[in-house]
Amino acid sequence: MPTIEHNGSSFTVDEDGFLTGNMDAWNETWVDYVKTVEGITEMTDEHHKVIEILRDYYKKNGIAPMVRILSKTTGFPLKRIYELFPSGPGKGACKMAGLPKPTGCV
Amino acid sequence: MGYDPANPMADRITDIGPPHYEQFFPPVVKNNYGKWLYHEILQPGVLMHKAENGDECYTVRIGAARLISIELIREMCDVADIHCDGYLRWTTRNNVEFMVDSKAKVQPLLDDLKSRGNRMPVGGTGASVSNCVHTQGWVHCHTPATDASGVVKAVMDELFDYFTSHKLPAQVRLALACCLNMCGAVHASDIAILGVHRKPPMIDHDAITGLCELPLAISACPLGAVKPATAKNSAGEDVKSVKVNAERCMFCGNCYTMCPAMPLADPDGDGIAILVGGKVSNSRTMPSFSKLVIPFLPNTPPRWPETVAAVKNILETYANDARKYERVGEWAARIGWEKFFEKTGIPFTIKSIDDYRLAYDTWRTTTQFKFTSHIK
Repeated sequence: MPTIEHNGSSFTVDEDGFLTGNMDAWNETWVDYVKTVEGITEMTDEHHKVIEILRDYYKKNGIAPMVRILSKTTGFPLKRIYELFPSGPGKGACKMAGLPKPTGCV
Repeated sequence: MGYDPANPMADRITDIGPPHYEQFFPPVVKNNYGKWLYHEILQPGVLMHKAENGDECYTVRIGAARLISIELIREMCDVADIHCDGYLRWTTRNNVEFMVDSKAKVQPLLDDLKSRGNRMPVGGTGASVSNCVHTQGWVHCHTPATDASGVVKAVMDELFDYFTSHKLPAQVRLALACCLNMCGAVHASDIAILGVHRKPPMIDHDAITGLCELPLAISACPLGAVKPATAKNSAGEDVKSVKVNAERCMFCGNCYTMCPAMPLADPDGDGIAILVGGKVSNSRTMPSFSKLVIPFLPNTPPRWPETVAAVKNILETYANDARKYERVGEWAARIGWEKFFEKTGIPFTIKSIDDYRLAYDTWRTTTQFKFTSHIK
């Protein structure tokens, strides 16, 4: 597994740049790193809200939320989530939140 | 402007959809759109459509490997430029069709195609074995139990005569899927080739916690064989993981689709199952699903002789026995499946008896049957 160095921290990731460890490997440095690769110019409170809700949901349920649940709990329609995370809720937001890579026929 | 990685959303064009198909109509098709009177199959691979105003459109269908290089696409474009004013189309079975607007242009096109070796074989119309709908296999997918392109090449080589002729009772649709996701048409094809596993998944306790959403892996199982469990990783620590009840596992691989830490591919365990009797058209009888007749044939690359022989045997037994217009499934239903097994000489195994939830309806609730003797 490759590792990524960013601002003095090191992260183990897979070939798509998702964290492979458990949720503890995540920190603010990781958020800052993903921001640079996911085409996000400035982190806003809305970004942090999405990430926080993803992490809370994952810790509670062991899975990433359905897109409709994410929209409902954040109050952001899917369009807004794409504006915040251009790669979308899976590749963008889940990666930044340190969740496992989405699986299945995607 | 070229793509700027520092500013990915700049000059980004999106949601434009595919180009409208009308832009690529040959003039004869565009002029007579919705005004066709009838069609004829002039010879295997050559169709003629007659329009209300007397216009004719001649279509020459060629087989294609589906997985093709840009060089081959360019060669097809060359053929289209020379004979068809630059127009061509792909069919829903991944054949390629060249269309010309007069009979005089057909023979030069056929001669040209013939001069290009066997890269563009003409056929696939009428009561033939047209192209085999297939999937990714070992070329690109991560869940296959067999290869796609290799098996299809081996099978179509053996059945090539049936591609270029009309000697069957009805068209026979072949399909291949390399696992039971069944991407494509395996579940509703006359003869279907399906990659199957025979061993339960292995669980990588070191990686599973960080890699998988465990509830997804658990709910992916159609038989409830996957359960959450605490396991020891290689460092001796307790980790959240799953355990698989091997007695309940039927090796579908759905859990691996959801969870990369549960691989189950195995070179000796994996192989091919053959299903027959499906169709999607409503002509004469309702659409039907294909049914399992051969539970396992080994993976024997590069030519898969067992699979090729099995497909050919089913096809030829059907060709000799079925009535005109009868599809494989209609033939098997008319003579009775016990007779299907007898005539094809395929040993009937317990694996063909449905045991999944709605299985009862597939058993025989009548005294009507024929005595058959082939099971020794």
